[in-house]
Amino acid sequence: MVLVYDEVRLVDVLDSGDAAHLAMMKRPDLGVTFTKLHCWTLTEYSKCVFMDADTLMSYLRGKSSLPHQIPAGLIASTLVCSSSVPPTRPMGNFSPPAQRMAALMASGDQGVLNSFFSNWATADISKHLPFIYNLSSIAIYTYLPAFKQYGHDAKVVHFLGKLKPWDYSYDTTSKTLKGQSQDSSDMHPNFMLQWWELFFSSVLPLMKEEYGDQPFHSGCTESDIHADVAQMHISHHPPPPQLSSQERKQKWEQGQADYMGMDSFENIEKKLDSFLK
Amino acid sequence: MRLSRSLSITSLNGLPLWEEESLPVQDLLLFEVSWEVTNKVGGIYTVIQTKAKITVDEWGENYIMMGPYYEHNFKTQVEKCEPPNQAIKAAMDSLINNGCQVHFGRWLIEGSPYVILFDIGSAAWNLDRWKGDLWNACSIGLPYHDREANDSLIFGSLVAWFFKELTDQLQDKPNVVAHFHEWQAGTGLVLSRSRKIPMATIFTTHATLLGRYLCAGNADFYNNLDKFNIDQEAGERQIYHRYCLERAAVHCAHVFTTVSQITAVEANHMLHRQPDVVTPNGLNVRKFSAMHEFQNLHSMNKGKIQEFVRGHFYGHLDFNLEKTLFFFIAGRYEFSNKGADLFLESLSRLNYLLRVHKSDVTVVVFFIMPAKTNNFNVESLKGQAVRKQLWDTAQSVKEKFGKKLYESLLRGEIPDMSKILDRDDFTIMKRAIYATQRHSLPPVTTHNMLDDSADPILSNIRRIGLFNARNDRVKIVFHPEFLSSTSPLLPMDYEEFVRGCHLGVFPSYYEPWGYTPGECTVMGIPSVTTNLSGFGCFMEEHVSEPSEYGIYIVDRRFRSADESCNQLTQFMFSFCQKSRRQRIIQRNRTERLSDLLDWRYLGRFYMYARHLALSRSFPGKFKMDHLNIAPTQGFRYPRPASVPPSPSASLHSTPHHSDEEDDDTYDEEEEAERDRQNIKAPFTLGAEPEGKSNQPLENGN
Repeated sequence: MVLVYDEVRLVDVLDSGDAAHLAMMKRPDLGVTFTKLHCWTLTEYSKCVFMDADTLMSYLRGKSSLPHQIPAGLIASTLVCSSSVPPTRPMGNFSPPAQRMAALMASGDQGVLNSFFSNWATADISKHLPFIYNLSSIAIYTYLPAFKQYGHDAKVVHFLGKLKPWDYSYDTTSKTLKGQSQDSSDMHPNFMLQWWELFFSSVLPLMKEEYGDQPFHSGCTESDIHADVAQMHISHHPPPPQLSSQERKQKWEQGQADYMGMDSFENIEKKLDSFLK
Repeated sequence: MRLSRSLSITSLNGLPLWEEESLPVQDLLLFEVSWEVTNKVGGIYTVIQTKAKITVDEWGENYIMMGPYYEHNFKTQVEKCEPPNQAIKAAMDSLINNGCQVHFGRWLIEGSPYVILFDIGSAAWNLDRWKGDLWNACSIGLPYHDREANDSLIFGSLVAWFFKELTDQLQDKPNVVAHFHEWQAGTGLVLSRSRKIPMATIFTTHATLLGRYLCAGNADFYNNLDKFNIDQEAGERQIYHRYCLERAAVHCAHVFTTVSQITAVEANHMLHRQPDVVTPNGLNVRKFSAMHEFQNLHSMNKGKIQEFVRGHFYGHLDFNLEKTLFFFIAGRYEFSNKGADLFLESLSRLNYLLRVHKSDVTVVVFFIMPAKTNNFNVESLKGQAVRKQLWDTAQSVKEKFGKKLYESLLRGEIPDMSKILDRDDFTIMKRAIYATQRHSLPPVTTHNMLDDSADPILSNIRRIGLFNARNDRVKIVFHPEFLSSTSPLLPMDYEEFVRGCHLGVFPSYYEPWGYTPGECTVMGIPSVTTNLSGFGCFMEEHVSEPSEYGIYIVDRRFRSADESCNQLTQFMFSFCQKSRRQRIIQRNRTERLSDLLDWRYLGRFYMYARHLALSRSFPGKFKMDHLNIAPTQGFRYPRPASVPPSPSASLHSTPHHSDEEDDDTYDEEEEAERDRQNIKAPFTLGAEPEGKSNQPLENGN
């Protein structure tokens, strides 16, 4: 981790000491979230951006002033942050009274932050990061029309919920996800795949170096090469069921042309060339 | 009071007239196909309408335009008549006999070109069959919900059918050339080619579908041109079918053109074909017989704007109107594409600079961009009412005073000045002044905006804090509606308004051509543009010191946003520091550029495109002989061998490199000589491939 980050700081795991209360909410892991509050002690920096362990930054499009693609907090014990993503100034000591008060709040750090910065929502609209900077991947948690409109612009994707990208396993050859079956209310596979691609290309080599010869669970699997070589060459993607010409035309008329596959312009161009000669 | 142009007054003597009659127009038929023939939707209407005259001058009866038939348009813009050409009549009849209405007439614009208009509604019953034809020919389907695309298919099918009938009859003579504009007309091209109809085809795109979408979506467009997966981008935006039609037309055309170098770069990546020719958009420039009449018009219209300002800023008129400059930006309300975001940021920096320098110059900036409004706001109307009241008060006091003075002079006495205005007069005047008390600041907008908290211009004005305060040297007036000469607020139409302003600012991020800066230039008003605008690129190529000619080109392509902003601020600041005399001279120079924008010059690119298309479609018959194309040089008069190519020592080529006194002189002969050195036509006619330098033609001298 030291390879990737400029500074790594260990933080005591604060505990709200309210395990019973939290257990009632079935989110015992929220106790750990108070650790996030330590980030306010980072006074040697003038600006901080908190990235949850389960966020992914993508700056494919847009003039981004945020740092380059890194899956933030890839390894479990790194920076934690608040569940909304405010760039703030670190403030020094967080007093014990505040901590005790915080213990009473059932909603973990979100509650503390909200009461501490109670005027935050209204004081200065510019302190809010725009929607695209905090895009949750779960459909039910987000405002879906906004996701549809801005999804491709997303700069930070936040994988809320119990199932994180690393809970699945990734097949490197076919570039698909495997693992628990996803329920319908669940994430957009696009961003999951992006997370895994990034992990595989940038982080895994570093981890391999670190671990050296020791085996470790990376979550990636490679398909059995020996058995399926011939098949691999023929079809990289499993071929979709062949549609008749009439059916394909109907797909177009419903606005569902297969623009990444059969109906790509490359194929259309070939058709045009046939009569242009 | 305009008179038609007299040839003796040409600002730019250096541009050669296109002398060669390169095409045998009597053996050809030229068709120009566009959705906007007699049907104004966007800018293409202006292009084809203004170009008609020179095309008719060249082609006469052999030039016919084609478009969709709408009853209202036909009644107001077209004079019905019979086609003079028998083959055309027969082709029309075969469509009519099969149930599709087709109309022929003369379009009542300058040039009066013939038009053939196809009634889409009457042919709509063929839609399913024609959808099948399109699918079988090119594997492109159209979604049910896209009315415009379906209409375009009907239009294209009718056009292709017409061309089939026509060429069947004509056989080999005359040959047919057809020029299609934009994807809406492109279906006709694709279908015609799929049926191997023997004709020369040209396709012009005025902007790419994807380009506009991607720019508006805040993509860092120009730096990522080669990284977009264009199929995917189109698919995700639900415009895949339109994109396919556009690309198909580009692919099938013999000759592909765009309207500027920057659009050519865009087309290369968005449409995967390098344009063969760049065909810029021109205007019909009308010159006055009095050489500097446009300066008088500037003065007159500036006065009208000053009247508006007196009213709008009542109670806060602590600045000198004689030292007030009027800047403006106008166009569709596309906040980032038109560069309004950059402009606002720049204005806040300009304000700071002017304040720090304790400048006595004030700048009033008008934003003319239509938005949703609920009519004029009360403050603005009140301002004009107060102004009018003051004027009336002054007039009535003047009347009384005048009478007394007259009486007194008749009696042979000088009146007692302390008694000439009595107490009533003072009361009236005091009351009038009291009415001009105003505790709020002059409003930044003239209308009640709907949803003003979400409005980008207003939000940014709030952010930068320019609210027309007394200390601000930059004042803002956002007029979210088209100008009209019957408006109670600002009774001027757009052209008058532009003439009355000092500087038009158009720092566009996406502008394939840019008629707005072009119109400013033709009226002699300096403008700011960018090197991402077609117009800006064009000026960069043609003029070596554009700032001196009132064309300020901001670099938005190769610099960061902050640097571009500073450059824009610097341009505006240096403009503010000019004296009135310097501004007058600059306007004279700007007006001299109008010949560059005239169709009389720019029409040659269209001619070249047609010639090229014929040479590709009928290679045996039409040759593209480069020697026949007049070398595109700016020098009419060959330079004597003894004179070096660089400017002579005694004559500065740059008007600005001179002392204070030189700037105040303006000599027609000197200016013409400077023009010859500064203004040149580029050597290449085609689009430059990126990264390569200009290669002169072999015979360029």
